Amino acid sequence: MKKPFRVPVLFCTLMILFTFLLAETLIIKIQTTNLRKEPKFYGQTTAVLKAGDSLEKIGVQDGWIQVRTSNGQVGWIHSSAVETPKFNLLASNKGLKTQASANEVALASKGFNKQVEESYRAKHGEISFVWVDKMLKLKIPPSQMESFLKKGKLAEFGGAK
Amino acid sequence: MRKLHFALIALAAFAFGLLSSCSVVQKGTDVLVSSGKMKESDQKTILKTGEAIRSTFADISEEEEYYIGRAVAALILSKYQVYNNDQLTDYVNTVGSAVAGYSDRPETYAGYHFLVLDSDEVNAMAAPGGFIFITKGLLGKCRTEEMLGAVLAHEVGHVAAKHGLQSIKKSRLVDAFKLLGTEAAKRYGPKELSQLTDLFEGVLADVAGTLIERGYDRKYEYEADKLSVKFASRTGYNPNGLTEFLKNLEGTSATGPTAKGWFKTHPSPEDRIEKAKTDISGLGKTPKTEPVRTERFLSFVAGLK
Repeated sequence: MKKPFRVPVLFCTLMILFTFLLAETLIIKIQTTNLRKEPKFYGQTTAVLKAGDSLEKIGVQDGWIQVRTSNGQVGWIHSSAVETPKFNLLASNKGLKTQASANEVALASKGFNKQVEESYRAKHGEISFVWVDKMLKLKIPPSQMESFLKKGKLAEFGGAK
Repeated sequence: MRKLHFALIALAAFAFGLLSSCSVVQKGTDVLVSSGKMKESDQKTILKTGEAIRSTFADISEEEEYYIGRAVAALILSKYQVYNNDQLTDYVNTVGSAVAGYSDRPETYAGYHFLVLDSDEVNAMAAPGGFIFITKGLLGKCRTEEMLGAVLAHEVGHVAAKHGLQSIKKSRLVDAFKLLGTEAAKRYGPKELSQLTDLFEGVLADVAGTLIERGYDRKYEYEADKLSVKFASRTGYNPNGLTEFLKNLEGTSATGPTAKGWFKTHPSPEDRIEKAKTDISGLGKTPKTEPVRTERFLSFVAGLK
């Protein structure tokens, strides 16, 4: 009698489970972010990271995570930029469920995406996205932010926390 | 044998659902299908199981939040003109980015961005993902950088706590997730795209209607005030900027029965001040207002017309 896929499926399932249990891997879930030299948002950047990049977790400090990139660079990223592929069996009373955002990376480009926006815009020519795109270009460089905080005696420059 | 077959599918679906990394699931099952070790229908069952996990606003992905936020921002901008003043826009973006940087959620899919709206209405709005708007009328009611920082931190609080996404009707989300659960394609066919676009329009009506017309539930406003106190003080601002701003508006037309925008459906300033005072007292030692910040604030808003 033919045994269709019992062994391969079991093997793959167990392998994937073990891989995830052993490695403290994080995945970038936002469009792009920077690897920073220090655990602060305006800290000097050492590399650009993109959605889907995987990182190895080294340590944590006040919401910031020290990571190692695939090419060995070490730096800091904020926890809100990454997906933690850990799971909690008690997370839902509706059965097994991973933590809230577990599907986020997996579903990248699915759901409400560029294609859906294009379809919406084709239907609503009266809604302009020109200023939305201009708005997205408004960014404060880290050096400008540091100078702003310093001159305003804010954050670490004001002795306040 | 048939039972065993189902048991294996169930086990695989269980494990894949547990890991819940659809890209891995998709690739893994693709390999099994292409090698003839799994039927395509079984693959769909497994993928469907993974999708079915999504059920609440918290399951909306960062990218989906971004696309909802973009369209909500576009709808806000269809009702308001932009106050085109590069220096002021840059200053508001710097203050806003600072409080966002010290928030609980400094990173969103495409970051935080701020625009000043050319309206005398006293109003501020935050679209999902970090598209934040503040009117010229509200800026005119601020007297210090602490007050501006408090208002922007309140809006960042709405984004960080995903209040906009929570205004999406549950039934709509259920429909969207159900539709997505039956379709594993990367690009949608005309039928699915049309259905998804209708759902997207509904989502926008829920979120934009709440932001522009109806206002949030009071509990979300109190929560955003609490987060404002937290984020502003972390940044080094005197958290009393929030209470001072609210006091500034007491008894004015900005908060009366004809009020628009920020106070149309918000709790009364008196109630908010009381609650904010409690939040501030819970912080212990708080930063003091520095004159250098007030001076620069006044220089940036001096030309406001």
